[in-house]
Amino acid sequence: MEPEIRWKDRDDLTVLDRSLPRVDAVAKVTGTARYSHDMRLPGMVYARLVLLPWSRARIQVIDLAPAQALPGVVHAALVEEDKELVRYLGDDAVVAVVAAESPEQARDAARAVRIDWTPEDNPLITREQVSEEDASSLARRGNVWQSGERGDEDSTQRALQGALVMVEAEYSAPVQHHACLETHGCVVDFRGGDEATVYASTQAVSNNPRSFARALGLDSAQVRVVCEYMGGGFGSKFGIGLEGRVACEVAKALGRPVHLMVDRPQEFLMTGNRSGTRQVMRAGADRDGRIVALHVEADKFGGVSGGSLPTPPYIYRVEEAYARIHTVHAALDGNRAMRAPGHPQASFAMESMVDELATELGMDAVEVRIQNLASETHHRQLRAVARAIGWDQHPFRTSPADRPLESHERPPGCPAAPPGWMEGIGFAVSQWGAGGRRGAQCEVRIESDGSVTSSCGVQDLGTGARSYVAAIVAEELGLERDQVTARIGDSALPPGVASGGSVTTGSVAPAVQHAALLAREAMEERAVAVLGGETGGFSFERGRITRKDDASRSITWREACALLGEEPVSVVGSFQRELHQGGVHGAQAARVAVDPMTGRVKVLDMACVQDQGIPLNRATVRSQINGGMVQGLSYALFEQRVVDPDFGAVLTANFEDYKIAGAKDIPRMQPIIDEGDQRSAVMGMAEATGVPGAGAIANAVHNACGARVRALPITPDRVLEALGRKG
Amino acid sequence: MKPFEMALPRSVEEATRLLPDTIGDDRARLLAGGQDLLTEMKEHLVEPDVVVNLKSVPGLAGIEDEGSAVRIGALTTLATLEAFAAQSPFEGCERGFRMLLEAVESVASPQIRSQATLGGNLNQRPRCWYYRMEQFPCLKKGGTECFSYYGKNRYNAILGGGPSYIVHPSDLAVALTALDAEVELVGPTGTRSMLVEDFFVLPSEGDPLRETRIAANEVLSCVRIPKASMARKSVWLKFKERDAYDFALASVALSAEHAGDGSYGDVRLVLGGVAPTPWRCHRTEKKLLGREPGEDASVLAQEDALAEAEPLSENGYKVPLTKGLIAQALLRIEEVR
Repeated sequence: MEPEIRWKDRDDLTVLDRSLPRVDAVAKVTGTARYSHDMRLPGMVYARLVLLPWSRARIQVIDLAPAQALPGVVHAALVEEDKELVRYLGDDAVVAVVAAESPEQARDAARAVRIDWTPEDNPLITREQVSEEDASSLARRGNVWQSGERGDEDSTQRALQGALVMVEAEYSAPVQHHACLETHGCVVDFRGGDEATVYASTQAVSNNPRSFARALGLDSAQVRVVCEYMGGGFGSKFGIGLEGRVACEVAKALGRPVHLMVDRPQEFLMTGNRSGTRQVMRAGADRDGRIVALHVEADKFGGVSGGSLPTPPYIYRVEEAYARIHTVHAALDGNRAMRAPGHPQASFAMESMVDELATELGMDAVEVRIQNLASETHHRQLRAVARAIGWDQHPFRTSPADRPLESHERPPGCPAAPPGWMEGIGFAVSQWGAGGRRGAQCEVRIESDGSVTSSCGVQDLGTGARSYVAAIVAEELGLERDQVTARIGDSALPPGVASGGSVTTGSVAPAVQHAALLAREAMEERAVAVLGGETGGFSFERGRITRKDDASRSITWREACALLGEEPVSVVGSFQRELHQGGVHGAQAARVAVDPMTGRVKVLDMACVQDQGIPLNRATVRSQINGGMVQGLSYALFEQRVVDPDFGAVLTANFEDYKIAGAKDIPRMQPIIDEGDQRSAVMGMAEATGVPGAGAIANAVHNACGARVRALPITPDRVLEALGRKG
Repeated sequence: MKPFEMALPRSVEEATRLLPDTIGDDRARLLAGGQDLLTEMKEHLVEPDVVVNLKSVPGLAGIEDEGSAVRIGALTTLATLEAFAAQSPFEGCERGFRMLLEAVESVASPQIRSQATLGGNLNQRPRCWYYRMEQFPCLKKGGTECFSYYGKNRYNAILGGGPSYIVHPSDLAVALTALDAEVELVGPTGTRSMLVEDFFVLPSEGDPLRETRIAANEVLSCVRIPKASMARKSVWLKFKERDAYDFALASVALSAEHAGDGSYGDVRLVLGGVAPTPWRCHRTEKKLLGREPGEDASVLAQEDALAEAEPLSENGYKVPLTKGLIAQALLRIEEVR
């Protein structure tokens, strides 16, 4: 008999919906957690890719001999025979691989490979360069092509003409990197024979064996992929990549385990990115602040890939909208999925435009949003972040500040701007599909000594998946979380799902809950033998199994497990549609300080409210919200890939020059779990939190000093320029 | 990394004998905290055969009261200097140490400050993108071109540039210039001292391969700051794009004495992050003498200090930014007690 598929009532939860440290917190902060990078196997060699760091290069000679002559070098090979041209600065620029007994020897060997090459005339970096008549074509459809169109242009033009106010503006966002702390790569343990284990830094443990098997000439069943801990993926680590395929080649050639993690510059040059955009917008509004028309012409800059941008209008209701989107290629690394692909770009432009219209109309920045957002959830959430950030006390709700704030104009405890700096508040919203997909399974085993194991192959990207694989089972069986051991990150375990689109929780948690319900039922069947009653008639609480109809009929968890004898419980749950939902909403507010003398922007305070159904662990939900705010702040103020367009070289391929927000740049953060969401279902939410930050901060900068910065990142030069434009 | 020999001299004199005679000869290089040298070696910007480790020389670290001056050994770590400046144990030097503390704290990260030394900080090489990338054979590496001039130059020089447009990355050089500090240089044939201000050299004044007047076989052994300068009111402002670990887009070290009537007496105004050397504004200093602090003096100082600025294609913002910093420094110094 199948148990009833359901989550417990919120009020009855004792492990879920609480704030618990993640189960691997100590391992992570003490460094005992072993990442792919950390794997050391007997007889292992270190491989290194040789990358020619120019966008277009004609190759004459690649000479491996100088590398082969170095001490410790055991392997040197071309990645592609007879390669004549580096088509783009990305994985296509990887021309050779070397392997040696130590990482240092491998590094020296990689550098010793002699490459004779000459630059091509056109480095194919800028829109102008790729549009030249004789420019080489980077893609089948050409270098610039229309990749999207929606709406009726004529009626949009008419609606624009009829609008009370009209704003025309160009918004641009740079290429952003995933900047994974653990670079891409894997350790391939293949010594010939018919099986292999790969320790891969991957977002798709259960999906990777097929690709590695193909590269090794094995069947999927012969390859085990392990990723116990994951040093960041953000969408860039689904496939095994060139680095994975090359590692397999080296292992096949040597019959020894191979460690191949790309180096830091290579991580910036060949492992994907968030595409850049330029969006030219014209928008009109009526006197109530309703957006009546929006005309958008957009370029997506995704290197040799297509780029990402949801077709406008983004989230907001617009009566007449027209959008035309072009893909503009460059001879640079292609974009990959990156936390809500395309959405932060779309959000920055749309939220800025909404704010510009509000300014024209002299409207309150929150009210104009509520006027144009269909979802009641957004209305509730905007009011929540407005309260948290101190909007009601703020004297400049309809036009930019013209003086520094006084202390009574902020809520108590709110961080204040330095003396003489201007201060402003901005808003933005988000939504995300999340949801779940079929395929995930979970096995729960209960042994006669009372131990419980919950196993699913899923990887934990840092979201807390390992913790809920244990916690959900503990909740259902009335145990403490520590009484359940979670096993994850191994393709030999029941399958997980690839972690993309914030679907991991919505896919895996239902399978774990299903397994927990099956395990509970199995235990009830054993309990009937000693307690009487019938299955479905027991409560599992505080380590006891008790008959609901007779509380005196009760045994402890250990006593119940002792009844198992030589027959442990082993049940496998699978994805259950009714346990998950999709569709999350969020809103953010930022309070910033701007120094009008130097253009420096400092974020003082951020508030983010996010819905997510049942919070499986309130601490990790808040942690995800904080992470989204930090990533948004970093995108807003610091991050950008810089390319020299004359030489076709990336100038920011390290963590000194590619700036991400550091500890001192982080403001007070208010991660707010939306208690108004009482859905009895699980869902992921993390990607939504990374969407609105840049728009909120850009709007706050304008609110602080009247400087409308329409290009990310909001660096001092741009603030000063915008202040100058204001006059 | 190219294999190298590590030499462990027991004295500064011995160290100097291990060094080459000519600039650009990188067969031997000095190692102090290693925060710059090791990066340069890993990036193959220098590939010495011999690394001369100054840590084996006794007595190069430490801060002493020499009576009329404060002596800071070249191997004093920035963390030590930071802690010492916070305590400020020498009488009459409180103001100077407070400014030095602000400057030291603005450098890099706590981890780097725990290893980096004062001597290494003054002798560090530029951070220009093109210099730091092995693939660009720039002027600073013996090439013929400064790629930043036509290329990406948002962090490069607006003053004193040409033929190289680097900015000098040392914050302490700027702060120490404002305090009239001297460096002591020990060579095989003797010891000489010069003002920190004179220690640095513009690319147009000589060899673009170097940023200072130190000879190839000299060792910077210590810095001396006159106590009279430490007694002046001083402020340090460093503008970073991000607060955590960043070099200056611009910085200002201002040190001044006020006359009895409140007007500027003695003034030092030094800019950082805008020129290939710490940029002392002598003319502006003179113009401020005898003037009352206030809006007029501030505008005069801002305009005069940047009058010769020649921004490149992407760094024009540094002009208003630096003016803003000067204005803030002039306001701040009035609050110094």
